[in-house]
Amino acid sequence: MLSIRNLTASINGTPVLKGIDLEIKAGEIHAIMGPNGSGKSTLGKVLVGHPAYEVTGGEVLYEGRNLFELAADERARAGIFMGFQHPIEVPGVSNAAFLRLAYNKKAEAEGRDELDPLEFDDFIHEKIKLVSMKEEFLDRSLNEGFSGGEKKRNEILQMAVLEPKLAILDELDSGLDIDALRVLGDAVNKLQRPDRALLIITHFPRILETIQPQFVHVLSGGRILKSAGKELATELEDRGYDWVLEEAAAGGAR
Amino acid sequence: MTTAVVGSSLLVDLLSAPRPAEWTSLREAAELRLAGRALPATRDEDWKYTDLKALAAGAFGPAPKTTVDISGHLLPEMVGTRQVFVNGHHAPHASCASAVPAGVRYFPMSHASEACHALGSVGNGAAKGLFEDLNTARFEDGAVILVPKNLKVALPLHLLFVTKAESPVAVFPRLLVVLERGAELELVEEHHGEGAYLSCPVVEVHVAEGAVLRHERVQRESPEAFHLATLKAEVGKGGQYHSRTLSFGARLSRQEPRVRLAEGAEATLDGLALLDGVQVADTHSFLHHAEPGATSRQLHKCIVDGRARAIFNGQVLVAKGAQGTDAQQQSRNLLLSEAARVDTKPQLEIYADDVKCSHGAAVGQLDPEELFYLQSRGMNADDARNLLTYGFAADVLTHVPVASLRRSLRQLVMARTQAGSLGDLA
Ligand SMILES: Nc1ncnc2c1ncn2[C@@H]1O[C@H](COP(=O)(O)OP(=O)(O)OP(=O)(O)O)[C@@H](O)[C@H]1O
Ligand SMILES: [Mg+2]
Repeated sequence: MLSIRNLTASINGTPVLKGIDLEIKAGEIHAIMGPNGSGKSTLGKVLVGHPAYEVTGGEVLYEGRNLFELAADERARAGIFMGFQHPIEVPGVSNAAFLRLAYNKKAEAEGRDELDPLEFDDFIHEKIKLVSMKEEFLDRSLNEGFSGGEKKRNEILQMAVLEPKLAILDELDSGLDIDALRVLGDAVNKLQRPDRALLIITHFPRILETIQPQFVHVLSGGRILKSAGKELATELEDRGYDWVLEEAAAGGAR
Repeated sequence: MTTAVVGSSLLVDLLSAPRPAEWTSLREAAELRLAGRALPATRDEDWKYTDLKALAAGAFGPAPKTTVDISGHLLPEMVGTRQVFVNGHHAPHASCASAVPAGVRYFPMSHASEACHALGSVGNGAAKGLFEDLNTARFEDGAVILVPKNLKVALPLHLLFVTKAESPVAVFPRLLVVLERGAELELVEEHHGEGAYLSCPVVEVHVAEGAVLRHERVQRESPEAFHLATLKAEVGKGGQYHSRTLSFGARLSRQEPRVRLAEGAEATLDGLALLDGVQVADTHSFLHHAEPGATSRQLHKCIVDGRARAIFNGQVLVAKGAQGTDAQQQSRNLLLSEAARVDTKPQLEIYADDVKCSHGAAVGQLDPEELFYLQSRGMNADDARNLLTYGFAADVLTHVPVASLRRSLRQLVMARTQAGSLGDLA
């Protein structure tokens, strides 16, 4: 589904990604862990086309197409979604109107029928149940004044509405209470299908007990230093990142 | 002054119209102050960016009694609480106040002049504005609203001032609102019209101790109209005055809200102006923290397109001894074209030392992070821009209390921000 080959990217002229290789197949769940500032969010934002980042080298194929030929909105309509670490607030635009618009734009692109406000009402009520969101959040302005956890819940609601093929979830778990973490973890699992894939960015193994990845990657200094199975998450929890860095340095020296 | 006086003939012409009945001494005093005065010119600091030359060039006759179809302006929550004025005259057949609770006096002034003893008394001591005096000298009729002590009026009241100008006319809408101690009221004041005309409304508001007034003001004058409005409010101890002024119409409009706050009073003075073409919208506000512990919030937003121009001058005066004042002012402006222009100026004068005052002004384009967020959800760049522009304006409407009004205002904003293609956002 997604092949990243020797991807490099920079922001304001500073290189952040320094050669990323990653292969994600349909049905797979991947986790990326790594120290603060290592480039995890950057990788996600480059994949969804954030304009502040400049791709300086390498290539990314999404379903066989050159990802960088698609604008951000085209990538979204082609099925790529990122749940942001810090979702943006948009005053004056009601959450419900925004969700309906986003849904209909995607439906239009896929040649499906658009939903009118009444039909959408039924549709969205099923979706808010999935993420246990209170109805009043639909009438509020998009993310405005939402708590950190409420914003994350709203990101997963958007994911449930858009049903992406590839979802990148950046620190979904930060700012979530224990119950919310379980509810949203379950919701993400319910949305996962054999023809879809997930890329989970996190600092904590806890969320990976609910959303169980087949692959865990350590990203540090803009490179993936180590990839292994899900047991790597707990090992990192116990031992920190230093040993991975040392191992990589030794490997590089050899 | 030695230079030729611009537009002096306009004032003379307007004052040559016959003086209406009643309030003779108030009118005479106003005429006296107007004698020999000229229209403000751009060399006056207060009118630096708002050129009245086009107004001065006009000739506006007295507005005849006439009828209009107001069915398009009725709102279901307020069908039984409406007073309608057409060309400055009360329109009894278009009005219906059957749902107004007993105890509330809600009349045309011409029916209840004895109830209007407070007329002309708000802000006494401060100099009267020229357009305020012009209104006092020549207003035909107006509305008076008196809410007695502790009465909390459940239904909002609807005031419609409609102008129909077959030839250019001048109208002087007038409104007096008196809330006695502990009274509460929601009021919607709308200005509509067609044709070329000058409208100079004056609104006087007394909010007594502990009383609460929520005041929505909608300016949807015709594109050829001039709208020069004065609002004066006095808010008693612990009283609250919350207003939102929405300017959509008129080729040139000016809002001059002046609010005086007594101890512990609260005021909101929000504003929104949507401008395009060659429209000019000017807001010169004055918030007077006269006594300790009062709070004021002011959010003024403008969206300016075409060659239009917005002006905001927000004066906040914290008097000596007004300790514990909490005043926040925000002026936020969105420019949608190269030729659009905004001049915004906060003006804080603080003579007390224990105060919390803040102000901010921003003039710019849409936030790229917000644009990207919407695009990352599948909206193309144009749709994202239109949606954000809509949201920038609709933000001011979020707390409009009357649902049908909120909806119609959102639809108006959708139409004016090209968000119409995005389906129903209201
Ligand atoms: N706008 C920017 N200007 C300059 N540097 C930036 C900018 N955005 C990100 N960076 C830098 O890029 C690097 C990678 O940031 P990124 O947000 O990808 O880290 P991260 O791995 O997600 O960290 P965290 O775990 O704290 O979320 C950091 O050093 C950061 O300071
Ligand atoms: Mg990050």
